[in-house]
Amino acid sequence: MINTKNAITALWFTLTCFVIFGCFILKNQVHDLEQELSRINQNIASDVRNIHVLKAEWGVLNTPERLRKLAHEHISLNKIRAEQIINYSALPFENESSSVAVASTNRKDLKQMVKLER
Amino acid sequence: MLPLGLSKKTNTFYDIKPSRSNGFETALFEESTNLEAVQTCRNRMSFAVILFFLAYIVLSVRVFMVCLPHGIKISLPDEEYAVRDISVKLPISRADIVDRNGLMIATSLPTVNLYANPKKIQDAKDAAEKLSLIFPDLSYDDIYAKLTKKRSSFAMIKHDLSPAQQANVNDLGIPALEFQTSEKRVYLHSNLFAHVLGYTNVDNVGQAGLEKFMHKRLTESSKPLKLTLDIGVQDTIREELLHAVEKYKAIGAAAILMDVNTGEVLSLVSLPDYNPNIKIPVGEKSLFNFITQAAYEPGSVFKTFNTALGLESGKVKVTDKFDATKPIVIQKRKIHDDHAKNRWLTVDEILTYSSNIGSVRIAEKVGKEGQISFLKNLGFFNKIEDFEISEKARPLYQSEKNWAPITIATVSYGHGISVSPLHIITAFSALVNGGIYHTPTLIKSDTQKVSRRVLSEHTSKQMRPLLRNVVLYGSGKQAEVAGYEVGGKTGTANKADKGSYATTRVTNSFISTFPSSDPKYALLVIIDEPQGVPETHNLRASGWNAAPTSGKIIASIAPQLGLKANFDINAQKAYIKAIQ
Repeated sequence: MINTKNAITALWFTLTCFVIFGCFILKNQVHDLEQELSRINQNIASDVRNIHVLKAEWGVLNTPERLRKLAHEHISLNKIRAEQIINYSALPFENESSSVAVASTNRKDLKQMVKLER
Repeated sequence: MLPLGLSKKTNTFYDIKPSRSNGFETALFEESTNLEAVQTCRNRMSFAVILFFLAYIVLSVRVFMVCLPHGIKISLPDEEYAVRDISVKLPISRADIVDRNGLMIATSLPTVNLYANPKKIQDAKDAAEKLSLIFPDLSYDDIYAKLTKKRSSFAMIKHDLSPAQQANVNDLGIPALEFQTSEKRVYLHSNLFAHVLGYTNVDNVGQAGLEKFMHKRLTESSKPLKLTLDIGVQDTIREELLHAVEKYKAIGAAAILMDVNTGEVLSLVSLPDYNPNIKIPVGEKSLFNFITQAAYEPGSVFKTFNTALGLESGKVKVTDKFDATKPIVIQKRKIHDDHAKNRWLTVDEILTYSSNIGSVRIAEKVGKEGQISFLKNLGFFNKIEDFEISEKARPLYQSEKNWAPITIATVSYGHGISVSPLHIITAFSALVNGGIYHTPTLIKSDTQKVSRRVLSEHTSKQMRPLLRNVVLYGSGKQAEVAGYEVGGKTGTANKADKGSYATTRVTNSFISTFPSSDPKYALLVIIDEPQGVPETHNLRASGWNAAPTSGKIIASIAPQLGLKANFDINAQKAYIKAIQ
């Protein structure tokens, strides 16, 4: 009887020791992970800050004033004029427009589109 | 159950029972003494056992607490997530401002401020000398004075250090110098949005413009504030205005572009402007926002509202004719036309030829009450409180009691009443969009602001060809842009000067809409005190400066806004042939 009791006590004692040991290991691992998380969060925060600064820099690089200056220096394009935007039907592609018309005979929506364009 | 085997049966050491077999006479006495001793002993033992037991429990609990990663904390899951969120949040406290396409206009950048603790300083002379080398804009004397400030443990040396400056200060290794994290408001486009955005002070509190009006929103939410403005359009308009100021030797210029169907402002420019990144002394002229702050007499531009008043009242028809054969005299004041036709004019002609006499006749036909209620309805008597810029003008006008016949007459052609350009464009938008007054706004939002009907759709539709005719045949000819059907009205108003009107100083306006067959946008261009130049035959009327400037602006921005030019197909074909 006493032996059984002692054995149970010993078993519980051992189990408690194991649980305590296990908990300590777990805690250490969690601690390490927490440290890693905090490091990653710090990196993210730093990246977010850097991206924010870069965005601002990108904004400065894209100011219309600067783009105009660059366009003037490197490309020979002028401002678009109203008369340069014209209807498709005004274009002198007689053959092509008729082929579109033929292709669209079976398609109601295409037909309508061509009609609208004209 | 007693621990450590302290039971009655098993304990043989303490449980001494008196023996009768020893034969002592004092057995009875001894027995009672022993019993007491045993009892005391037992009590002490029990007490010790309880103490140990409690200690064991405390230790067990502590072991579990130590084993748990964060000890025992009661926290809601939401809070945990919130904590994680904060760790990757932007380190700035004032939200960005972006344009309608999401392009950044204003932002805050993290910086550091340098301050000193004068109590800790050991060699103030040496420190001041070294710091003045790092910061050439600070003088040695100033720094020295700050470092030797007695009874103070805080002296701000410099705001917003550059990373290089911070590294240099760190290298000095002076323990009394410390850094404070801060942020600086940066306006990426310098002058471009000066009057819209305003500026903040060193503590990042909005001091003017949108920054002041929207301060609460900008500091409460980190979500970027989206405006209705368009960077490209704003830049194009500013460039054209700068050219106009230079060309016509004007003292200033301003323009506002509005979407007539929503009240959204796409561009707001006022010249001269300033760079909000640099501190501007209060009272500086360039701080004045002509569009919202100026209450000015708009002149003939107001005739559009007078014509609409006549048509809306039902007392005047487009085909009606009015006597403009000779000047009229009201309350001893003679009113004449600048370009007198000296004949009867139709409503259309009154607007096209900008006839003061004709306008007065229309207003007289409608009468005082009709005129006042119409103008009131169009918002000309109230400050536009909801517009998101803090500096706004209150209109100036005669009280109803003093609204004399001469007031009816002068108001009909835009004198004797002072309103801001913002008032004019907002009311004008209602005039051409089908009769709905939309509260003007700078903030892009899914929910539309308050709007109300102020005019019948019929009147609005009648107004469009009248405005178009001004550009086709009247004073606004130079605003014509092929394909965009510009409709508008010129206005040349002499400036008030010491109780009368100056003859050489004028404020010119041109209000326009395009395309006038189905108005999408309204544009108001103002040129302040333009001079006559050889190109304008030394004339300074609005048709010679504000109108052509508007034309140039529309020609540039309409393609940017995605407006399709309405050309005659045959004309287009001819154009293509010509360029082939």
